[in-house]
Amino acid sequence: MGAEHPLIRKDYEKLAEVYNYISMCTHCTNCRTLYEYGQKENFAAIGCPQGDKFMLESYFGSKSKSSIARGLLKNKLQYTDSVMHAVFTCTTCGACQQMCETDFKPAIMRTIEALRAEAWRFGKVPEAIKRWSAHVKVERNPYMEKHSDRLNWLPSSVRNSLPKKAEYVYFVGCTASYRQKQIALATVNVFKALGVDFTIAEDEWCCGSPMFRTGQWDLAKEFAEHNTALLDKYGAEGFITSCAGCYKALKKDYQEGLPEGYKDKLGIDFHAKVLHSTQVVAERLKKGEVNFTGKFEKVVTYHDPCHLGRHCEVYEEPREVLKAIPGVKLVEMERTRKFSFCCGAGGGVRAAFPEYSLETAAKRVEEAEGTGAEILTSACPFCYRNLKDALEAKGSNMKMMDVIEILNEVLGKK
Amino acid sequence: MGGNDRILKQLQEIVGPEYATNDEALMYPYSYDLTWNDPHMPDYVVLPKTVEQIQRILRLANRERIPVVPYVTGTNIGGLCIPEEGGILMDLKRMDQILEINTETGYAVIEPGVSHAKFSAALKKHGYEFGWGVHPASASVLAMAINHGIGHLNGRFGINSQMISSMEVVLPTGEVAKIGSCAYSNSWHSLYPLPMLAGLFIGWIGTTGIVTKLGVWISKIRPYKEVLTIAAESAEDITKYMVAWRDLELCDEVTAVSWWLAQIPIPYPYKEKPADEPEWYSYTVISGWSEEEIAYKKKMWKEVVEREKAKGVKLIDYEYPPEAKRGRTELPSRIVGSTKNYSKACGGGLAWPGTFTPAKNWPIIYNKWKEIYIRHNLSPAVRFTDYRGCHYGMLRLMTPFDKRDPKAVQNAREAMKECIEVGVPLGMIPYKPPVEYWNIINKYADPGWIMLLTKIKDCLDPNHIMNPGKLGVR
Repeated sequence: MGAEHPLIRKDYEKLAEVYNYISMCTHCTNCRTLYEYGQKENFAAIGCPQGDKFMLESYFGSKSKSSIARGLLKNKLQYTDSVMHAVFTCTTCGACQQMCETDFKPAIMRTIEALRAEAWRFGKVPEAIKRWSAHVKVERNPYMEKHSDRLNWLPSSVRNSLPKKAEYVYFVGCTASYRQKQIALATVNVFKALGVDFTIAEDEWCCGSPMFRTGQWDLAKEFAEHNTALLDKYGAEGFITSCAGCYKALKKDYQEGLPEGYKDKLGIDFHAKVLHSTQVVAERLKKGEVNFTGKFEKVVTYHDPCHLGRHCEVYEEPREVLKAIPGVKLVEMERTRKFSFCCGAGGGVRAAFPEYSLETAAKRVEEAEGTGAEILTSACPFCYRNLKDALEAKGSNMKMMDVIEILNEVLGKK
Repeated sequence: MGGNDRILKQLQEIVGPEYATNDEALMYPYSYDLTWNDPHMPDYVVLPKTVEQIQRILRLANRERIPVVPYVTGTNIGGLCIPEEGGILMDLKRMDQILEINTETGYAVIEPGVSHAKFSAALKKHGYEFGWGVHPASASVLAMAINHGIGHLNGRFGINSQMISSMEVVLPTGEVAKIGSCAYSNSWHSLYPLPMLAGLFIGWIGTTGIVTKLGVWISKIRPYKEVLTIAAESAEDITKYMVAWRDLELCDEVTAVSWWLAQIPIPYPYKEKPADEPEWYSYTVISGWSEEEIAYKKKMWKEVVEREKAKGVKLIDYEYPPEAKRGRTELPSRIVGSTKNYSKACGGGLAWPGTFTPAKNWPIIYNKWKEIYIRHNLSPAVRFTDYRGCHYGMLRLMTPFDKRDPKAVQNAREAMKECIEVGVPLGMIPYKPPVEYWNIINKYADPGWIMLLTKIKDCLDPNHIMNPGKLGVR
């Protein structure tokens, strides 16, 4: 081999779009260690769940992704099954992006997703992702469920009383609609107790997050176009989400341009308010509009969902809600906020690599157990799902609850 | 695929199937680094967890005459882990345990995969520190120390290899040896008063064995720190100041950077310095156990500055911004060590010519390097740092370049080689040198030195399996 070659594979169009960003990666390896000095207690931990599991440089942090991207673009690598494995076992948790200090930083997520976008051309996509991808085109959810069943979780009395026009559309999301239905129900109860002016769309589709994260940009566009039209339909000024993944999709992917989001891909003119349910509650707490009618006397530890925390920098509102709940004692894990450790579910990993996904969740659960908390909480139904599975697999005494579920226990009860 | 499946099977039997591969896609990141050194693919990558596994791998490599290249994160900025002749890339990051922190005797024992981040966090809990350098926090402490890496306590103790107190090494032929006090007891406190066999593995850039455990001296963190800064018009003036100040041996570190290195990022390509800005900036870190001690050191520093000014040395009073000062007292810093300062917006390439050089020749070499770099349209982003009082110091030229453009890579490479040619006759000895630097250095070497180097290498590594090609002699 001689000196580095210039870009020669222009057929990797999606990677080529971010080639100049990829080239800014110096391979310094800052991306693998969550680290901060200068605090009272120094802090250091491995942040990359993928590297932590597979250890080879081809899996560790954003360095591995820039390396594979360069290898493909320079025709040093072909899109083999090994490349597929290294590309699709990333949970897109963003820990590497958090730590990167080079000009690759803003395009790291886009590069990971571009690597996946290129995979579809070669059929180098895990079978489980192909399966849900085929399903989502028809039934608008990746859970192999029927679209017509999407609102089955909602009691008919509530469904029939939903307003036709409202300030917000509560964007329930696929996980809360089909799996963690109790979170959706708790959210509705809480919103009603707080007097939130909201409605629920009869024809909500998947937010597109699973498609963005797995490089299916054209497909995601169709979903974005559909969902953004819901605001006009219901005369709403914004969305409220329960799910961290939906929040990032609506707030960033729909609305921000290259390199952070996909506005350039979607071609939609969408500028609307997007709130997470905990932000809605936190806002009302500040205004003194929340009347607690009970206590939740438990020790609780909070897991920052990657897509809500690192990706969108919503760290404090879920904690503000928890701290305000009478009886709650909030204790923190070692890795929190921007240094949080992934639950292991994201980026298509839970569907494609369930054992590794659960193993990652078990690492997080172990950290949570170390706090002595009785309750592990989060603000994302998808994190909830993976962490709950890990708790059960371990036979842990901890109980999994969403922040809104805890809140629901102490609102509106005499 | 890289190497053959017969060898792979044996490697997998040693470390487990998931920790050995010959898959090119998975090995590709090991084939190059951030420098201009030519990429070479390994044939296998293996990740051992134990000393016994390393022994078995080395015995296999000897039987099969396969090169072995030790690796942790590959961030040495010298191409040291690029496998010149292919072979087994031995990634040691799974060996990441801090085995002992002994505050009573003031040492710690670490494995190769322990990062500066992990080590600093652990030591801080005990109120201790090690020499943290300008590197990513994920870099290996052990690899840095055995390769003469620098740290923020250089002024007080010298480079990090001078803080090594014991070691365990697997020889190229697979035997395990303990060196220093740990050879006689379970205490890893000192290499002295024994024959200095540690020297067989320090500065040999992975060509004489695999260091599997390292004892290093650790220091109590002094609670008071201050950064004192000054500027000068020329390399001659800043050198005079640094020599006068370091002679007092009162600082943890004294460093000067040229205007180009003070810019974030380093201008690429070359940009002319504004006429009204100083060409040199210096910071020195002082530390102490009390405010009185800091005040005394500060007083002495001021006296040096005034005395030098009175002699006609053109020093300019200059305050670093607070953030820049903070970056010098809160090490290891992911920002200082991230390469952001060097290669932002450039194209991912970074290398250097340098380093250990007698201070009297710093200005002479700097002025020659400046001419070379401006001719190559590169910024002369030079750093001077004193090591351990007045004995020796660093002269280093950080060079970002655009790896997207082969011409730019070649231009940087040629400029740096020219700098080595200029520096070596004036006493500069490059550290962590790429192969091409060795070819220049060895031209100037005493034949007896080369003979001895070769004899030792042949003795320890009879089949020449350890990182072959890197020393320029085998």
